[in-house]
Amino acid sequence: MDLYLPIAEMPMNVFLLLGMGAAVGFLSGMFGVGGGFLLTPLLIFSGISPAVAVASVSSQIVANSASGVLAYLRKKTVDLKLGLYLTLSGIIGSAIGVWVYGALRGIGQLDVVIALCYVAFLGTIGMLMSVEAVRAIIAKQRGTPLPVRRPGQHSWIAGLPLRVRFHRSRLYISALPIIALGASIGFLGALLGIGGGFIMVPALIYLLRVPTTIVIGTTLLQTLGTMAFTTFMQSATNQTVDVILGLALMVGGVIGAQFGARVGQSLRGETLRLLLGLLVLAVGLRFAVDLVATPEEFYSISRMGGG
Amino acid sequence: MIIRSLLLVVPLILAPWPSSAETLTTALSTERVSIESNFTGSGVVIFGTVERDQQTVARGAPYEIVVTLTGPLRSMVARRKERVAGIWINRTSSELPRVPSFLAIATTAPMADVAGNRVRARQGLGFDMLPTRGLPDALPPVRTEFDGAFFRLMQTEGLFSLNEGSVEFLSPQLFRAPIALPSNVPIGWYTANVYLFSGGVLLAKTTQDFSILKGGFEQAITNLAHQQPALYGLATVVVACFTGWLAGVAFRRD
Repeated sequence: MDLYLPIAEMPMNVFLLLGMGAAVGFLSGMFGVGGGFLLTPLLIFSGISPAVAVASVSSQIVANSASGVLAYLRKKTVDLKLGLYLTLSGIIGSAIGVWVYGALRGIGQLDVVIALCYVAFLGTIGMLMSVEAVRAIIAKQRGTPLPVRRPGQHSWIAGLPLRVRFHRSRLYISALPIIALGASIGFLGALLGIGGGFIMVPALIYLLRVPTTIVIGTTLLQTLGTMAFTTFMQSATNQTVDVILGLALMVGGVIGAQFGARVGQSLRGETLRLLLGLLVLAVGLRFAVDLVATPEEFYSISRMGGG
Repeated sequence: MIIRSLLLVVPLILAPWPSSAETLTTALSTERVSIESNFTGSGVVIFGTVERDQQTVARGAPYEIVVTLTGPLRSMVARRKERVAGIWINRTSSELPRVPSFLAIATTAPMADVAGNRVRARQGLGFDMLPTRGLPDALPPVRTEFDGAFFRLMQTEGLFSLNEGSVEFLSPQLFRAPIALPSNVPIGWYTANVYLFSGGVLLAKTTQDFSILKGGFEQAITNLAHQQPALYGLATVVVACFTGWLAGVAFRRD
């Protein structure tokens, strides 16, 4: 059964859309990430223009993170103050991202920048995650605990000026790295159509030493705020959000996430991190191959001023 | 004697005059295609008759019909990838101002047999004669590598098509030309042109308008997205938050 997408101006199979939403939702429920970094490339590979894909996925991420934030708010594992700092800086980054997106589209270099960013970020994060998970698995098998840093041991990053106290996270750290982190993730989110959870979670844990219990809920809050703003901005400036496409992805996504969460709880943390790391790495590699391999078609056509 | 020779000359003078040529009458099977939520492509049929009267001269060659369905004109840009520092990026580009977003050509016979290059160049008829910069000229347009890529890619996407021999004569005068509209057909105003040729000479031409528009619901969404973008964005965010909340409530396990 095909469904005509009014903004994308093309029909697409409903079950394919629901299936893609569900598959990505399953993975996001399992790993606790938004899954935008998988969904946006999937939509682009199935023929939807990158402009519409990036913008519409942001609405799906809003739905996904909204249901997540509610669950974590009930468990009271969200640092609202830290979330607010991250969201506000994320919105600034997102505004710049939407603008850069339009400018790159105008000069025809959007695709290559998106691909390069995917390779750089997914490659780095995927590599770090996999290595870390493998070391944890090996350490566990040998029975030697990994050296753990205690709270109170801060890196130089936290000691920068403009210190702010975050009671919920038991942190007294500089606001500058928080703002920088929020803004860069908001920027990447708008440019690449990703929530950025897979960058935010390790950054909060390893760089800012936010307690692990607080990290996911706070990240989801930041994702919700930033992506809601991105959806609004993409609609208002580029007019590329397809609400029908977004809705089909949302419905598939929220259902898939429930099953993914159940599977995720039955897997061990290290195994889960290794799988996620390898998945992230695989998507990055796919983009790298496309960039380096000699294309079958050297030419491309598009409407002037994007599209 | 003089009168007699004049009488012999008269038909020879009259023969090539268009006043005695055929009249072409055409009609479209529909004047408006509406795109609903279940749209997966459609079609339009162009009917026509070649009318003759007593003064119409007998033609040595058969009638040939060329039908073109042209979509809204758009400014396009063609880009070429080149390898820079190991990766392939868009380096050179060329603008194609005001080219059709859709072009279906249907004929009764191979294009080259219907009319010569000069006649087709004047009309901008055929992929090889369609001007990509400016108006049709007496000479065939000069093609760059970017123009070639444009025509090739538009055909790959199914937006440009050439069906030689798909126009059929149902009777010596009546013909029909079915034209398929693919699922990715652009929205907007179309022009259907019908050309009547005989022996490589253009005898008559008709032009008709035709529109492809979105259906009620699809159009309402598009209108909202383009005319009230802020409201549309806000509504999308609310829908997304509501869906998320609904899922959270529906699948709540604690």
